[in-house]
Amino acid sequence: MPNSILKVENLKKSFQVAGGLFQKSQHVNAVIDVSFEIEEGTTFSLVGESGCGKSTTGRLITRLIAPTSGSIVVDGKEIATAKQSELKHLRQTVQMIFQDPYASLNPRMKVKELVGEPLEIHTKLSKDEREKLVLEMLEVVGLNAEHADRYAHEFSGGQRQRLGIARALITKPKLIIADEPVSALDVSIQSQILNLLKQLQQEFKISYLFISHDLSVVEHISHYIGVMYLGTIVEIGRKETIFNNPKHPYTQALIASVPIADPTLRKKKKVLIGDIPNPKNPPSGCTFHTRCPFASDICKQAIPQMRKINEEQSVACHFVN
Amino acid sequence: MTEHVLRVSDLETSFMRDKTEIKILRGVNFSIRKGEILGLVGESGSGKSLTSLSIMQLFHGTTGKIVKGSIYFNGEDLTKMSESEIRKIRGKQMAMIFQEPMTSLNPVLKIGKQLMEAIEMHLKLPKSESKHHAIQMLKSVGIGRAEEIIHEYPHQLSGGMRQRVMIAMAMACHPNLLIADEPTTALDVTIQAQILELMKKLKEENETAILLITHDLGVVAEMCDKVVVMYAGQVVEEADVFELFASPKHPYTKGLIASVPKIGDKKEVLDSINGHVPSPQNMPKGCKFAPRCNQVMSICQEESPPTVEISATRQCSCWLYAKKDVEVNA
Repeated sequence: MPNSILKVENLKKSFQVAGGLFQKSQHVNAVIDVSFEIEEGTTFSLVGESGCGKSTTGRLITRLIAPTSGSIVVDGKEIATAKQSELKHLRQTVQMIFQDPYASLNPRMKVKELVGEPLEIHTKLSKDEREKLVLEMLEVVGLNAEHADRYAHEFSGGQRQRLGIARALITKPKLIIADEPVSALDVSIQSQILNLLKQLQQEFKISYLFISHDLSVVEHISHYIGVMYLGTIVEIGRKETIFNNPKHPYTQALIASVPIADPTLRKKKKVLIGDIPNPKNPPSGCTFHTRCPFASDICKQAIPQMRKINEEQSVACHFVN
Repeated sequence: MTEHVLRVSDLETSFMRDKTEIKILRGVNFSIRKGEILGLVGESGSGKSLTSLSIMQLFHGTTGKIVKGSIYFNGEDLTKMSESEIRKIRGKQMAMIFQEPMTSLNPVLKIGKQLMEAIEMHLKLPKSESKHHAIQMLKSVGIGRAEEIIHEYPHQLSGGMRQRVMIAMAMACHPNLLIADEPTTALDVTIQAQILELMKKLKEENETAILLITHDLGVVAEMCDKVVVMYAGQVVEEADVFELFASPKHPYTKGLIASVPKIGDKKEVLDSINGHVPSPQNMPKGCKFAPRCNQVMSICQEESPPTVEISATRQCSCWLYAKKDVEVNA
């Protein structure tokens, strides 16, 4: 068994939502019960539709927000209850890449400051040493030294995402949390960034927690996949198994909904009916029962438990054996 | 052959900035027949959305202006019409749905009122009948509890429901042409599948021609009959959807199709197109795609390529397909 870089168990986060004038404040369970593990040098992807809790999970692991309960073990250390002062070390091991390269880079900083900032915080290197590392890192992500004195607005979307990657990579993290890193990019640029992420993984043995709603992208980049629906993982396993033999009705529907870029494969789709329920008021039992084509009485009453159905796949559904 | 609902020829649209004219669309040509879905694809900045805004003549509050070319809609040239004449067509014979339904619905008006506005204005129906028509339209887009929804505000609906309301509104006067600008980009994939099925159904029932603008080649492959590929404000390739995906001609189209990760594909490294779309102020000389093209020749950097007719249904603007004896008239 290779080293586990991240182990999350029974992670839970509930947010308090302010009530109206005559209403009590409410709790919304954004993440209800999430457990998974990431091995060194692999990519684990969380997929699901908006509001399923995938981004919240990512932010919990970086401890940008504190979990309500559960355990997060990063590189052998429990960090779920770590104090702010203890988190500095974590931020060096776990870095994040964001969706919007326009919003996540400070417009008033030069590239060398932007990319070098994490070194200033985490190391005692001198200015010249830092600058040397920054220039090396720019080369690694496919930019070059002449870019170092420019500002973020002088770059295109793809180049900015490269800057975001350089900034994440410079502290030599073991785990990078990439929250929709290519969603804002055009497909030709998206493929450049995906190739870069893969190449960096091989070069530096980084693990990724990849958060995305785009199943084609996820299929390309992942080794393992967790499918989330309303705050819980409903199916988890090896990528090939999940895509070739999805067991949970939600995973099946999700894969079937992806438009395929080949007109000869057009077919009438089994479209999933209805919308994602409001997490403020989730359905009883299996939260997917309101949209599930196979739902029966038991689904409305009992929450299905996650069960291992073979070596490579676990599913939470009453009807999967 | 059925007649063209829309024929755009040699369309050029410009914006003014600091008293200089910046040309964004530089000669766009395509046409759509009745009941046909035409996909307009390209990267951001290629001029897809501006093409749709030019057709609708929605330049209010901007410096945008059509400087050349014509847009024939049902046989009449929209570029020669006055604003009041266009108003009678816009929303009635020609309607549009946008990417983000929340920003295109009025947040302080109830759904019913917004829907009935267009119906009363264009179909000249009395109030009770227009309300009935509004409810019918909502039902036709798959909203079951239409009688209740007309009394609700946009924020009370989910993204998918709002987009359904937008489609109901656009289809209310049975338009000949529906322009859909990234209609499902903001939606989740299961909801996207619902909306795309709905658009297909409405097209079949009403024979509406649809101009579908999208960056998602998956959506194009599932929905369209014909595809127009745009780059830097020009059409670089036009083809039947099956031909286009089976054998793309233009290096840009090839690059786009190869960049898409496909489920089940074992490819480790994805193909990509180097560089990015040039800004309108810094357009390269010659072929606008030349700096990113992997088959670039010396002539590409000097002169714009001619539009070559490869077959009756397909055209491509690229020097690779131009015969040697073709005179350059571009």
